[in-house]
Amino acid sequence: MAKKDQKKRKSENIFRKLARWFVRVFMGLKYEEKWFPRNASAEEEDKKPDDSEFIVSPARQAFQGYLERKFAVVAFFVVVFMFLTVFIGPLFMPKYYDAYTEVTLKNLPPNLTMMSVPSELKNDIKMIDSYGPFSVGLSNAGKVYVWGCTELGASGMNVKVPAEYRDIKMAMVAAGVDHIIAIGEDGKIYGWGSDRFGQYGRSQNSIESSTIEAMPEELYENGVDLAHVKKLTCGYQATAILMDDGRIYIWGNKQTYSNMENFIGKEDIADVDFTLNYVVGITNKRNGIYTGTRGLYDMARTKIGGKTQKMFEFLNGRKIEEITATTASICLLLDDGTIALTGDFPADSIEVPDLAVSSLPEGAKAPGLEEDERFVDIKAGNYHFTALTNHGNVYSFGGDHYYQAEAPILDNVAKIYTGAFQSYAVDANGDYIDAWGFKGFPLGSDDVGANIFERIIAGGRITMTVGAVAVIIEILIGVSLGCISGYYGGWVDILIMRIAEVFSSLPTIPIMLILTSLIAQMSLTTNQRLFLIMVVLEILGWPGFANITRAQILVARESEYVTAAQAMGVKEGRIAFKHILPNIITVILVSMTLSFAAAMQTETGLSFLGFGVNYPQPSWGNMLTKASNATAAKNFWWQWVFTSGILIFVGVCINTIGDTIRDVMDPKSSSDR
Amino acid sequence: MGRYIAKRCLYIIVVFILLTFLLFSLYRLMPANRAYTDAKAEIQGLKNSIPAAERETKFDELYLKYQRLYGTDTDNTVILYLRWVGVYPFYDGKCNGIFQGNFGHSYEYNAPVIQVIGPCLRNSMLIGLVSEIFILAITIPLGIKCAVRRNTPFDRGVQAFSLVGFSTPSFIIYILFILLFSSILGWFPVAGMKTPGSDYQGAKKVLDTLWHISLPTICLIFSGLAYNIRITRASMLDALGLDCIRTARAKGLSQKAVIYSHAWRNALIPLVSVFVGGFFSIIGGAIFMESMFGFKGMGLLLFNSTKTADYDMIMFIQVIFVFIGLVANLVIDLCYGIVDPRVRISK
Repeated sequence: MAKKDQKKRKSENIFRKLARWFVRVFMGLKYEEKWFPRNASAEEEDKKPDDSEFIVSPARQAFQGYLERKFAVVAFFVVVFMFLTVFIGPLFMPKYYDAYTEVTLKNLPPNLTMMSVPSELKNDIKMIDSYGPFSVGLSNAGKVYVWGCTELGASGMNVKVPAEYRDIKMAMVAAGVDHIIAIGEDGKIYGWGSDRFGQYGRSQNSIESSTIEAMPEELYENGVDLAHVKKLTCGYQATAILMDDGRIYIWGNKQTYSNMENFIGKEDIADVDFTLNYVVGITNKRNGIYTGTRGLYDMARTKIGGKTQKMFEFLNGRKIEEITATTASICLLLDDGTIALTGDFPADSIEVPDLAVSSLPEGAKAPGLEEDERFVDIKAGNYHFTALTNHGNVYSFGGDHYYQAEAPILDNVAKIYTGAFQSYAVDANGDYIDAWGFKGFPLGSDDVGANIFERIIAGGRITMTVGAVAVIIEILIGVSLGCISGYYGGWVDILIMRIAEVFSSLPTIPIMLILTSLIAQMSLTTNQRLFLIMVVLEILGWPGFANITRAQILVARESEYVTAAQAMGVKEGRIAFKHILPNIITVILVSMTLSFAAAMQTETGLSFLGFGVNYPQPSWGNMLTKASNATAAKNFWWQWVFTSGILIFVGVCINTIGDTIRDVMDPKSSSDR
Repeated sequence: MGRYIAKRCLYIIVVFILLTFLLFSLYRLMPANRAYTDAKAEIQGLKNSIPAAERETKFDELYLKYQRLYGTDTDNTVILYLRWVGVYPFYDGKCNGIFQGNFGHSYEYNAPVIQVIGPCLRNSMLIGLVSEIFILAITIPLGIKCAVRRNTPFDRGVQAFSLVGFSTPSFIIYILFILLFSSILGWFPVAGMKTPGSDYQGAKKVLDTLWHISLPTICLIFSGLAYNIRITRASMLDALGLDCIRTARAKGLSQKAVIYSHAWRNALIPLVSVFVGGFFSIIGGAIFMESMFGFKGMGLLLFNSTKTADYDMIMFIQVIFVFIGLVANLVIDLCYGIVDPRVRISK
């Protein structure tokens, strides 16, 4: 006996053993004996159980049947996973909001290389610049590298270095939103990318158009005296070259930069940069921002949330050393090593580090500047600034949507460069130290520059919620009416079924279109609208549930257990809901799954047409609206392929679950299918 | 039979009146006031000819005039409804509603509603009929074949196709088709009903139109396949499981006779509502197809009308839909009688 016992123990698998030990430790021997009987007699063990002794409930049988179908099990987990993703996912996107737009990042293909400096460039960085989705870098050897989204969605342009320019040694380089300008060591000016708005070259269009300032002819023909070039900078679709004697060459799209004319021919410019709409500069007087337009940027402050003062009073005799601009804000570096800010900052901005707060503990998250620490360099991205101090510390501040204003703590930084949404730190040898900011869109960006991946998750939440809630309302109404109608019969039955018939005879989509357009006319909050849309989706769906429930009840009503319950004097309502309903629940489950898929489809359809859920609220339907344009669908494939792919995938999974449940529930089919 | 139909017709009329009244009161919620906008427009036109002091009284006058003209000089929904139907007189003492042949005036097209709807209805019915016939011609044999040869690779393939097709919203299918056949292959035009700027006559015009509507038709057929295959197969499977099929087989009937005369007749019963309903839904137009291809049918008309809040137009389209829906129900019930002898007897 003991031997046999041991043999049995050996065959015990590890989980069972662990469970048994757990029971012994925490619950005592009594339970161990009870749950893991070790003295079970051999005969009993060996005896094959008779089929008749197994009593498997229908639900259990169906469950086992379901588990046997691998595809259905996978589909179930996929749907659960999708649900979790769309409901938990938004918690991991704290910066996401529905109405986000970014003009420099629209229509970008999936790409995650926006921050990856090419490895050849990493040890030899001379300068890095960017204004939009791609960055351009120059090595000390004079070679130009381009990374990020080099294939521009908006204009179909490729900004990779053209083959004929690859062997030319460059001295300076700068990038606009769709063009790159480089100055060769021979002083010649090279441009590539888009030239539709006169970004470079002297095309017929750029000379004739009144909204374009063409590249100056002398520059185009003879190039520039490289030794005297002070700064090369690019704006949205414009470029400026500043000479050290104060002369400035400036050209590009005048529609974006309406004050460009004010700079042409100026000869006393000390520094220049571009915001999204204005050219901004400082004159040799260095006592204010020159835009050529009165009243722009004449208020200054030291902190983003600080008190503004008139520029003149603020400067109080100090001179402006450098000017650097994001799309809407300007940072001035003053001759005493402090900074001044002007313009608008995004709401999620990171504040400027405090001056001379040395009492902060070491390694604190927002370090202050030390006593004698002064800013020596400031670079601007599209929303953020990165500043370098004389102690070699780096600080970032300003817009933080892509975490570009959260600088790590670094040592030995000698130079800083910024991309549009990135910052790069470089040491004294020109070696790459670190980069922070925006890597790119995993699934591309849409036509307003929003992240499609984030919108799919946020849109999935709305689409799935709408579908689920619509189905729940549908079931509540349909099943209770079906129960009443099927159980009581008589005129109640006739009335309810007539109403159901009328509702189910109406054409679904047209009626919903009209109802949702009615909703659109009402003044409601977005959530109220959403709820009404759910109600509209349900309004034509409940008759299906009512019919199914009624038919099932008619069958169940005649069965013995109901007769028994009636004989025992159970109340009628109780019989309907407590005795009959559990028996028809499986059928309801099947049509619930299928209607969920259908409700999701209807919602996406309505939103696709522009009814239902509207922009800026995302839904899988309204994210596809733009794809109805054949050209957009072809050029910007990522804007609809992923969304429709996931929509179809979830639909297939839900329908598979529904089909499988129906199959395994049906005693007729499970035997031979 | 005649009595049954008469009874149903009476029922249809009652429900029709109830539903249209319901919809009519729903539309009263819409913040559209034609009399107000018209009066406003006229006062703008008169702006300079009358002094500012009189403008207000003049506007009230005009507003009242237009309200009386359009019959909106009361807030009573019942009276408004009765006026719309044409049994309650307007301010000038005449009835001018549906019974008098006035179905409303489309604001957007500046024409009587009935004139605008005519060609759209014809277009929609034409393309819908053709595609519905094709759909049935493809799906019925395919569904039967799948059910008979269930679990063969053929069946599994078709099932996989129909599952994916069923789960794909129709507009995604259209996007894919437009992309493939228009953008990439360039076989068909992307949208529209005729070549822009062309003025073809005779046979050339017909060919041009055919060329333009062939891709929409193909799309419509394709998007309807999956659902029909699914239900045909399912109901055929149920029919094949019936005892009478076993009996028929035991009698030694040929496979063909068993399937097409015994099983298919039984499978048809649940399918009747789907097939007949499909034919009637043609009138509603295919909104997704029409709005994507710019196909001038009922769907696009409704789509545009709802976008521009063309009140009379929507209301009338709505009325058509409700009416068709009710008639479809009657026809479906009659078809049950044709398909299923048991129903015939019980009547």
